Amino acid sequence: MMIKKPSPQKLSNIRIIRALITKEFLQIVRDPSSILIAFVIPFIYLVIYMYGINLDTVKVTMGIKNDDPAPETLTLIKSFDQSDYITPYVYNDKDLMYHDLIRSRIKGAIIIPNDFSSKLLKSRPADILIITDGSETNLANYAQSYPVSIANQWLSESRYKYLVKPPLINTELRYWFNQDINSHYFIMPGSLAITMTLIGILLTALVVAREWERGTMEALLSTRVKRIHIVLSKYIPYFILGMMSMVFSVFMCIVVYNIPFQGNLLILFTVGGLFLLSCMGIGLTISTLLRDQFLASQVALAVGFLPALMLSGLIFPINSMPEGFQIFTRFLPPRYFVSFIQSEFMAGTIWKIVLESSLFLAILGWLLFVIVYKKTAVRLED
Amino acid sequence: MTATTVEIKNLTKIFTDTNTTAINDLSLNIEKGKITGLIGADGTGKTTLIRLIIGLLVTDKGEIETLGLDPFTQKYKLNQKIGYMPQKFGLYEDLSVIENLNLYADLKNVPRDFDELLEFTDLARFKDRLAGRLSGGMKQKLGLACALMGFPEFLVLDEPSVGVDPISRRELMKLVRNSMNENTTVLWSTAYLDEAHSFDTAVVMDAGKVIFNGIPNELGNTSQEFENNVIELMGGYKKKESLIAEHFEMNDYDTEYPVEALDLAKKYGDFYAVRNNTFHIKKGEIFGLLGPNGAGKSTSFKMMCGLATPTKGTAKIMETDIKENPSKARSYLGYMAQKFSLYGNLTVRQNLEFFAGIYGVSILSRKERVDEVIDVFSLKQYENQLSFELPLGFKQRLSMACALIHNPPILFLDEPTSGVDVLTRRDFWNHITSLAKKGVTILVTTHFMDEAEYCDRISLFYKGEAIAIGTPEELKQKANVDNMEETFIKLIEERDENDD
Amino acid sequence: MFRRVLALIKKEFLAIWKDPRSRAIIIAPPLIQLLLFANALTMEIKNIDMVVLDRSNTVESRELISRFENSRWFRNIIYANNEIDIRTHINEQNVQIGLEINNDFAGQIKQNKPVSVQVIVDGRQTNSAAIAGGYASQIISQYSNEIDKRPQGASIRAEVRNWFNPNLEYQWFLLGTLVSLLAVITALMLTALSIAREREMGTFDQLIVSPLSSGEILIGKTIPPLIIAVIMTSIMTVLAMLFFNMPFAGSVFWFFVTIIIALLSIVGIGLFISSLCKTQQQAILGVFVFQSPAILLSGFISPIEDMPLLVQKITYLNPIRFFMTITKGILFKGMLPQDIIMNLIPMIIMACVALTAAGWMFKRKLD
Repeated sequence: MMIKKPSPQKLSNIRIIRALITKEFLQIVRDPSSILIAFVIPFIYLVIYMYGINLDTVKVTMGIKNDDPAPETLTLIKSFDQSDYITPYVYNDKDLMYHDLIRSRIKGAIIIPNDFSSKLLKSRPADILIITDGSETNLANYAQSYPVSIANQWLSESRYKYLVKPPLINTELRYWFNQDINSHYFIMPGSLAITMTLIGILLTALVVAREWERGTMEALLSTRVKRIHIVLSKYIPYFILGMMSMVFSVFMCIVVYNIPFQGNLLILFTVGGLFLLSCMGIGLTISTLLRDQFLASQVALAVGFLPALMLSGLIFPINSMPEGFQIFTRFLPPRYFVSFIQSEFMAGTIWKIVLESSLFLAILGWLLFVIVYKKTAVRLED
Repeated sequence: MTATTVEIKNLTKIFTDTNTTAINDLSLNIEKGKITGLIGADGTGKTTLIRLIIGLLVTDKGEIETLGLDPFTQKYKLNQKIGYMPQKFGLYEDLSVIENLNLYADLKNVPRDFDELLEFTDLARFKDRLAGRLSGGMKQKLGLACALMGFPEFLVLDEPSVGVDPISRRELMKLVRNSMNENTTVLWSTAYLDEAHSFDTAVVMDAGKVIFNGIPNELGNTSQEFENNVIELMGGYKKKESLIAEHFEMNDYDTEYPVEALDLAKKYGDFYAVRNNTFHIKKGEIFGLLGPNGAGKSTSFKMMCGLATPTKGTAKIMETDIKENPSKARSYLGYMAQKFSLYGNLTVRQNLEFFAGIYGVSILSRKERVDEVIDVFSLKQYENQLSFELPLGFKQRLSMACALIHNPPILFLDEPTSGVDVLTRRDFWNHITSLAKKGVTILVTTHFMDEAEYCDRISLFYKGEAIAIGTPEELKQKANVDNMEETFIKLIEERDENDD
Repeated sequence: MFRRVLALIKKEFLAIWKDPRSRAIIIAPPLIQLLLFANALTMEIKNIDMVVLDRSNTVESRELISRFENSRWFRNIIYANNEIDIRTHINEQNVQIGLEINNDFAGQIKQNKPVSVQVIVDGRQTNSAAIAGGYASQIISQYSNEIDKRPQGASIRAEVRNWFNPNLEYQWFLLGTLVSLLAVITALMLTALSIAREREMGTFDQLIVSPLSSGEILIGKTIPPLIIAVIMTSIMTVLAMLFFNMPFAGSVFWFFVTIIIALLSIVGIGLFISSLCKTQQQAILGVFVFQSPAILLSGFISPIEDMPLLVQKITYLNPIRFFMTITKGILFKGMLPQDIIMNLIPMIIMACVALTAAGWMFKRKLD
């Protein structure tokens, strides 16, 4: 029987990689900045997105001036009051109301004209005048539309109801995937994507540059270490750290914040892993090319974080961007991951989306790995 | 016929980004089985040469052969035969001693068998301490241990003894010799000329060229002789009248002791970095603070400048307590920082104008004063150049100019000659001693033992206390030896014995 | 003492200008962001893609669909053959919205009987979905009103006036907030680097040993970034007014007072962070950890009124919140001095606290 002894070189390869990975882990554990980036920052972000950002239907403070003498109109005002969407303040002085609007005490004003109910009685459309604070553009949109729907709701239950003609074509609006219409259900998974981008890039961006600055890279380059060893020893530990961070964030979302998850955890973490690899690739590329920690962190923030926040589709819809930008976003990993993760959480596993994202992320990840490998130096200059 | 480990022929290396010729048509053979010292100031090309020899840099012109291999094409093979200790020692500060050793053992594919090595380097009791928490001397031993692993044929050490006291230096050398066999070659670079006699062969470099290559005794039997001859080789030093001192305007004053330390102590947690420190410096005296790293001399110095707050005791400048009236006290000081901290992105002139401004030179006379200083310090050719581009010697000069721009009666110098070449050093001390003669009071810290001779009085620090204060002569007599290095070693050893 | 501080200020300006990094920080991000925001980023919903299942396939249904095709909000219309098609297209996010018209559509209409159509929106983008759904409803009800031959009935409509921003131009809103934000970010970065960089270079010791008191050092380090940030803000405001027609309804004097006080508080915070850090890189991380939550919780993305009470209270500690309120107020509404002052007071307090803390901190960190 032939017992094959492993060749000395192969054995030393494993030994070298294991030694380098052990070193990275020890450094991670003993260096607070990595822990800060991997766990503290995501935690802060999750908390902020959960409690600070609310894109749902909001409650608008509005002033009401009623010029209509009919008593029935008072029930309209009561409707406004009982509504979940408006906090009304009744004014007797129009000028005071305008004054408060200017000073942002109220975000909108409703004026019910004196021929309001008389028009309704004649089976005619009646107008209410709505003034909004246009400097708060988001709120203004809501301030425009809420009063009308509340008023029409009131109309269908008021003494004029028999005079109301239902629309000929009625729109039945149905929300798929977010029946509760809770904006957190899509913000939280999306913010998870943003945070992962930041971490993936930031963690690795500093890593290689730090070795150069501290002089340890030079020492490594005079041992049996090969390029592949260095590259793998940078990817593996930070990948593990990044995945731990992801698990932590997903846990926070699903268990602590009760965000519904319709999809498959295995798929989530697989695509998540691919995404992390791409981001790490970006970070490592920056770190390898710029041997200066400061510059690396600047570029990482500029290249990694800002595009993720702005151009991933989480906050600003991609479809509303000019054509050129829409195409550009097709090259950004966060765009794919944000859409994937929102889908996976809210709609379950949609294979087209999974495959599209995975393919892109895998290719990008591989490309970056090759770049990092080729650019990793074996001497001080090449 | 002696075997050669390294053969270098007509080597030239130019750095294009700074446009400097680091190595200039250099030819050198390094013998097998010997300890060769590569001696030269900062910027002379030592590190560049070392990196070229082991393949971390690529030659522009010329050939190198190391251990029969071409460092450029056969680097990987070469790596397996060398042990390299770079500047900054190549240690992972977040890892413990044993973790660093394990790492290097794995990287060099040698068994993790350290007992002997730990004994050898006396690091056994610090096995689990983080490398970042070791003292300078211990870090160097650890760095050496990592480089020694696998018993390489060629041991390459880049400034292994930098910043460390003579005792540690000797220990390090002993370690290296004990680890050699007849086939081991050692290349050891240093900026300290006085280490020359510990080497088998001394190679002295200046401006990218070799100016001497041979047995140290050929150039002088004592360090003093050696240094003098090196200076000759570099073009010789003509002692001139110090223009700087000549132009210095000394405002007379009454105080007998312009600088006083009264029972200074500094505690960090439970640990006393400095205690019971008292000294009085007379007008026009040059007072030196000497001692190994971690002995407390830098802490003491910092307390005198106001960079650290004393836990106990008072620091007085011109009889003003520096804590009570800092602005007034500090206006009497001129300060030269370690490594000549200047504003790199500003020109020479802008640096001078800045320091003139914050030290109270009036706006009206400022331009005139700066012009004068530029002349007197021979900085005219660099006037509008960014200070980070200056050669080291001129950086030192600029640093001195910034310190003296307001004609302070007191000068504080923190390791003012670290890294500069021997000529610049001589010149520098010429200026300092001339200034002292004019009445400037000077407090200086230094690692160079021979510089101690320039001082009027010295305070020798060890383990937080001043174990001896006196003139160089007095101290030499006390230790019963004839040079400062031996004095230092003797007095410290005595102290250790007494403590035990 | 005055000339000492002047010398320091002059040096700071030189150092900032000559260091390519700080130059990059001042020039690049604002330009890039201005570009991005002005051209690409908006919260308006446009280019909506739709899938239609038209079971009716009559003149009326096709007319309805053509209203969508001609609408400026909608882009591509994909025709589905069955329910599964609709489901697939929406699932795969090929479209954001779906329209289902039943086969009795035309029949009911001709008989003047009410009929329903289904609009399905992709809740994964809940916010855009709601707005897209709103647009769809609008188009449908407009068509409905046009072809409705029945006598009129009672209904309530609204006549809307948008004050300060008649067309609800998102760009104005964005630019207004952007001007404050960019100044803040730049000021933070510049100051964060300033002390940390000197520490790294070793020149900080020089400053401490000199006759400069820590108060003087603080002033010397505050004024240059402050002036630079104020200049930047002014330039950006002018640019926004010139190229994007952003209005400026209020008082120039109060605008400047606001910028100076707001940036003073930001600079104070930046210096405080810098004084805590030993390296520039730590300082950058520190600034980042402060900056992102501060921006997110400033009312920039979603209104403060809608945050939980506890969080609202926390925003009182955020100078950016007040800065934005005043900026928007002055630019769009011609805000009155008394309201401006009420918002200025918290920032003044914060500026004092931060600057004092910074001064105290860097003296302490020496030991």
